[in-house]
Amino acid sequence: MDKKKKLNRREFLKIASLAVSSIAAGKFIPLNEEHSVPKKRKMVDAAGRPKRPWWVRRVDEPTLEINWDNVHRFDARKTVRGSGFVRYAGQDEYDRLQRISAAKETERIRNNQPGYTLKDWALGAAQRDTGRHSYLGSQQAQTPDERGVKKWIGKPEEAARILRVAMRHFGAATIGFLELNERTRKLIYSHDPDGKQLIFENVEQAYETDTKRVIPEAARWVIVYTVQMSAETLKRAPTVIAEQTTELAYSRASVIQDKTQAFLRGLGYQGLGEATTNALGISPALAVMAGLGELSRQNRLITPEYGPMVRVFKMVTDLPFATDQPIDAGIMEFCKTCKKCAEACPASALSFNDEPTWETQGGWNNSGHKAYFENSIKCKTYMLEMAGTNCGICFSVCPFAKKNKTWISQWVKAGISVTPVFDSLLRSMDDAFSYGAQKDPEEWWWLDLPEYGIDTEQTVQDD
Amino acid sequence: MDKDKDFHIFKIVRKSWFEWILTAFWLVAEIMFLQAAIASRLELEPRAAMVYWLAFIVLLLSGLVYWIVRRNR
Repeated sequence: MDKKKKLNRREFLKIASLAVSSIAAGKFIPLNEEHSVPKKRKMVDAAGRPKRPWWVRRVDEPTLEINWDNVHRFDARKTVRGSGFVRYAGQDEYDRLQRISAAKETERIRNNQPGYTLKDWALGAAQRDTGRHSYLGSQQAQTPDERGVKKWIGKPEEAARILRVAMRHFGAATIGFLELNERTRKLIYSHDPDGKQLIFENVEQAYETDTKRVIPEAARWVIVYTVQMSAETLKRAPTVIAEQTTELAYSRASVIQDKTQAFLRGLGYQGLGEATTNALGISPALAVMAGLGELSRQNRLITPEYGPMVRVFKMVTDLPFATDQPIDAGIMEFCKTCKKCAEACPASALSFNDEPTWETQGGWNNSGHKAYFENSIKCKTYMLEMAGTNCGICFSVCPFAKKNKTWISQWVKAGISVTPVFDSLLRSMDDAFSYGAQKDPEEWWWLDLPEYGIDTEQTVQDD
Repeated sequence: MDKDKDFHIFKIVRKSWFEWILTAFWLVAEIMFLQAAIASRLELEPRAAMVYWLAFIVLLLSGLVYWIVRRNR
């Protein structure tokens, strides 16, 4: 019979001392960096660019033709937003549409029309942007000078990384950077929507007067960022339920802008933000040049991560960043075949052309690039006369507006990027699966959605 | 033999290389459809979920029929 081997005192002490010294060593010797942080949570490069799948390719030129000689700084007052619509349609027409809109709003509330009930309008009113829009920022944060230290100096990659991390923490979804040169400077408005001129001057500090906002020549870098909208909510377009999620994005952006300006000030730099909604520069254009997405048939940005379910914002700063390049994910190419937004648009405001063109549709479009220019007058008229909201149907039907939880959706996006020959089939399948169909507005009030209705961990590809 | 009572004996059917590849594709497709069906539910896309479940079940039944037919050869 075998006797069980007994542990003698000497061996026990040897094992015990080894165990204790291992534990002690582990406390003081840093873990191998490679294993201490999950791969999914690490930045992919020194500039803090997030991981994107292989089918999102960085390119030298964006996926739309641009003739920079014909691009001019645009006057933001020429868009159809706000008083711009009056410029094209006339004051009488604007007043008429406003009366219709107001009357329909009251009628819908009284009829308890789903998506337009009193609680929906109350929610919309609550989401209205009451943020702290400021060109120069609140100027509250302590500067390095005030602390008695030198301003922050770092490599452009490091600057990009810390801004990305900070802004993600403030609530931005994706962040890109570009440098203002002879070409990209043309994407800054000549005039803001409130009429103030945007002027580049050889001064150290930015300033603002009653008639102008001055950008120092040294403020050559643009921070372009997106704020996610709730796709699940926007699929109730064109009701107030959908509209309020866009308002929420603007609200959150003004907070992000305020915090980013304070952060930059704390580092010793200037952050020049949007003084009013959609000010400073052409959002989709800047976002395309900063590699956040591609221009689309909607004439808006479509991102690989969230499709069109984002709002785009920008700031100008004098902190040097490692800049980004445009991308090609097959989005613009897909738009040539898809046309789902144009077909769904009840105002027929979107282009049905197979190819983008140079010809603009009106003064609200900026020339100098090939695009699917839209008829914004028809769009705005429908918003006021019929929808009673900012509509959003084109966003909600877009095949790129996916939540990326299925593995198949990643394969489809990869296929769109590399084999455009299947675009037509994929568009048909998108219809067959009923993606983009309007969802029940009343159902939204029963959903257990995350904060802001968004998935803040959504990426275009999971590890 | 008595000693065989202590063992489980498996027989693996000889398949051609082509059949093995087909089986692999079938398995991958089933996994993809199942994942898509469950994920579509999470995405609150009931119509897409239904289509994926249908595809999963049809493929499953096809595989079952093929297996039965093959067994009875």
